[in-house]
Amino acid sequence: MAYIRFEHINKYFGENHVLKDINLDIEREQLVTLLGPSGCGKSTLLRCLSGLERITSGRIFMDGTDITDIDPRDRNIGMVFQQYSLFPNMNVAENIAFGLRMKKLGKNDIAKKVSEVIGMVELSGKEKAYPANLSGGQQQRVALARAIVTRPKVLLLDEPLSAIDAKLRRSLQQSIKRIQSELGITSIFVTHDQDEAMVMSDRIHLFHNGEIEQSDSPISIYTNPRTKFAAEFIGHYNIITAAQFHKITGGTDTVSENVAIRPEAMEISLTPHEKKENSYQFQGIIINHLSHGNVLRYNVEVSGISLEVDVLFRSFYLYENGQTIFISVEHRNCLPV
Amino acid sequence: MKKSRASKGTILIISLYLVMPLLLTFLYSIFTEWNEVLPNGLTLKYYKEILLDKYFLTSVLRTMLISAIPFILCTSVVLLALYVIIVYHPGWDKYMQMLCNIPYALQGIILAISVLSLYVGAPYPLSNRFVMVVLTYCIVILPYIYRGLKNSLDTVNAKCLIEAAQMLGANRFYAFFKVIVPNILSGISIVAMLSISIVFGDFAIINIIGGSYYQTAQMYLYKKLFSSGQASSVIIVVMFGLTLILSGIVNILNKKKVRNRED
Amino acid sequence: MKLKSRRYLIAILPFLLLVLFYELIPILMIVIRSFQPEGHIGFTFDNYISIFTKRLYQQAVVNSIFVSVISSVIGIIIAFFGAKATNEATSRWRSFFINILNMTSNFAGIPLAFAFIILLGNTGILVLLGKEAGISALADFNVYSVNGLLLTYIYFQIPLAILLIIPTFDGLRREWKEAVLLLGGSPLIYWTRVAIPTIMPSLLATLSVLFSNAVAAYATAYALLANNYSLLPIRISEQFVGDIVQRKEFGSALAVVLMLTMVFATLINNYFVKKSRGGAAR
Repeated sequence: MAYIRFEHINKYFGENHVLKDINLDIEREQLVTLLGPSGCGKSTLLRCLSGLERITSGRIFMDGTDITDIDPRDRNIGMVFQQYSLFPNMNVAENIAFGLRMKKLGKNDIAKKVSEVIGMVELSGKEKAYPANLSGGQQQRVALARAIVTRPKVLLLDEPLSAIDAKLRRSLQQSIKRIQSELGITSIFVTHDQDEAMVMSDRIHLFHNGEIEQSDSPISIYTNPRTKFAAEFIGHYNIITAAQFHKITGGTDTVSENVAIRPEAMEISLTPHEKKENSYQFQGIIINHLSHGNVLRYNVEVSGISLEVDVLFRSFYLYENGQTIFISVEHRNCLPV
Repeated sequence: MKKSRASKGTILIISLYLVMPLLLTFLYSIFTEWNEVLPNGLTLKYYKEILLDKYFLTSVLRTMLISAIPFILCTSVVLLALYVIIVYHPGWDKYMQMLCNIPYALQGIILAISVLSLYVGAPYPLSNRFVMVVLTYCIVILPYIYRGLKNSLDTVNAKCLIEAAQMLGANRFYAFFKVIVPNILSGISIVAMLSISIVFGDFAIINIIGGSYYQTAQMYLYKKLFSSGQASSVIIVVMFGLTLILSGIVNILNKKKVRNRED
Repeated sequence: MKLKSRRYLIAILPFLLLVLFYELIPILMIVIRSFQPEGHIGFTFDNYISIFTKRLYQQAVVNSIFVSVISSVIGIIIAFFGAKATNEATSRWRSFFINILNMTSNFAGIPLAFAFIILLGNTGILVLLGKEAGISALADFNVYSVNGLLLTYIYFQIPLAILLIIPTFDGLRREWKEAVLLLGGSPLIYWTRVAIPTIMPSLLATLSVLFSNAVAAYATAYALLANNYSLLPIRISEQFVGDIVQRKEFGSALAVVLMLTMVFATLINNYFVKKSRGGAAR
């Protein structure tokens, strides 16, 4: 059996059906992300696993044991919260030592483990500082240290980086990933930021309205979204109706309502492309462009339909507004959703 | 700027008006007589007289006792109730708030006569005057203690901290009393001062319920009021001084705590 | 949450008991007793009828309301200027003032009455000064009358009122005054058209607090008045302690009347708050 298993999980908040018959397996030592917009149920599922929320029906198994009815404090699960939740009346070392004190370890033992884990999160020297004097990033690292020092079986992270500014977020993402793989702790990460999910996870579970829309590796979910919602949420897909697709490409193989095309999957050039069996080719007009750092995003009109095309900023050449350009996209990159 | 001068002026005038009676009382206590516009005979003999009076000292002690006990009792009772509400039944908070706000309307005399008439003929220990006074004071200071503790709790984000403590292996009782309470107790020192000074300055309850059964400093003062003006003013000065010392101590403790955190 | 045992509910028991026995039941008993005839069980309005027909008690009600309203209104006017000054002052003056306010808010009751006796009693300092300087207003001042009472009541209302409305003044944004000035108005316009209407709800709320504070004040009245001026709190306490025959039922009715004045004051207050809120920006 998988290391963590959710079986037929249903959760109601009053009348609200927040988790709809969730079945999910998580393998050992993996870092898995629950991804989705606000209110989709991902945090709720995490909190059900932690025991802080009770499920309405279903069972949860961890390492072979049914933990559905076990108290949160006996589940041996570590958790990092969005608002850090560090104890304000204790300094960094005391915060981290808390879980070890609950396990009634000896003073020397505790001191050793605490300093070991402070080194891991790169906060050496800050043992006596109080949370109020630490930056957001530092506080979150303390929270992480506090959660892992007891070597829990599972580590849960509930949008831990949402309150932290973008630049710092990158380095914290790296730290979390590094520590997770060093310690080999099975971890579940919740976020609404799909870039973050792509960077962190071994596997992504996309949530939508209390159900799992798609479960895949980051690359697969990115290149092969299976539904319209998935295509809209992950990446920056162009989503057009089947009729529009037909109009642009003359393509007849449309099995679904919509077609999703990744902006970077389309090649553009000033001259027509070599005819290829496996590609659609058509013309369009540049409307305008936006620069996104190393990517130029062109707004292109094709047969009256607006498309976005991403081009890596490799040369200094900029297509001008109003220019006619030729576009080529492989069949397999036009996904039915 | 004209504005700040006007505001300084207003502040000064009001301050003067407020401080003057205090000042006068103090001056009255150090002169032997004041029958004309200016006083005569600078002396400290009244202070010696009062401070060495056994009855006065015991009455002050009684006042302190009767201020400290309700405070400790009420705080404990409210903390225990808040434990249940915060951890298990957050929805009950509005009822607790209602119950804790009612005493605002039961000022001094109303509560005093209500309690007295109800329990004066009741079985022991309810009819004991000391018990009546202490428990009545608990209700008097209840709104302030509840408000003070609740405000601190809200800033500390109790629910999240308790969840974090639970995930680390603590049970909710331990989490509340070892993690939450230390954080809100810092807020309680201000409330302490407020409650103790309320009880210190109360006359209605102690006069009506305590009567001659339990003489505190206020009662002692009232008795002296008509015999010796100088003695009365000494008592007032001493008691007021005590209140000031108390608030001074609390202020210092507060500043020390803040400074410790900022190291 | 695991709710296997409800044992934790024991923790809330002390609170419930305290509130039940020393807050709820006493008040209930007072109300019930106020409708009982003297000495035995029954139901009657006699107690209330006595209050509103006997001169002594009519006076007590009227006097209490009079003194409370006057002292509250004057108190809040002074407090308005005091809080305004605090808001506009530098931080050093502000903390100085707030310290003074906190300190003197403790000075009430008997000590306060005593201080005013020193000042304005028969051989009070100001009275003597008045006699020397020929100012009859001072020389003839009788602190043991309603005037003396008013002075003391105003005194203890001021710190409380100022401390209560300072936060409201802090809520007034400087930009509003600047906007008024830029639009061609004067500071007076700002105050009368913008600022005061905005803070009116809190002023009225504070007024209500001041009224309740004054109407139930006991110690100061006790020390100053003896039997010169009839006030509700004194009349009430007389029914329960002292040399006069105890009349618990009648006293309870008086107490209920006192509570009702506070309730009415709050209701009237709320009415005006609603009216002023309708027009104000907040």
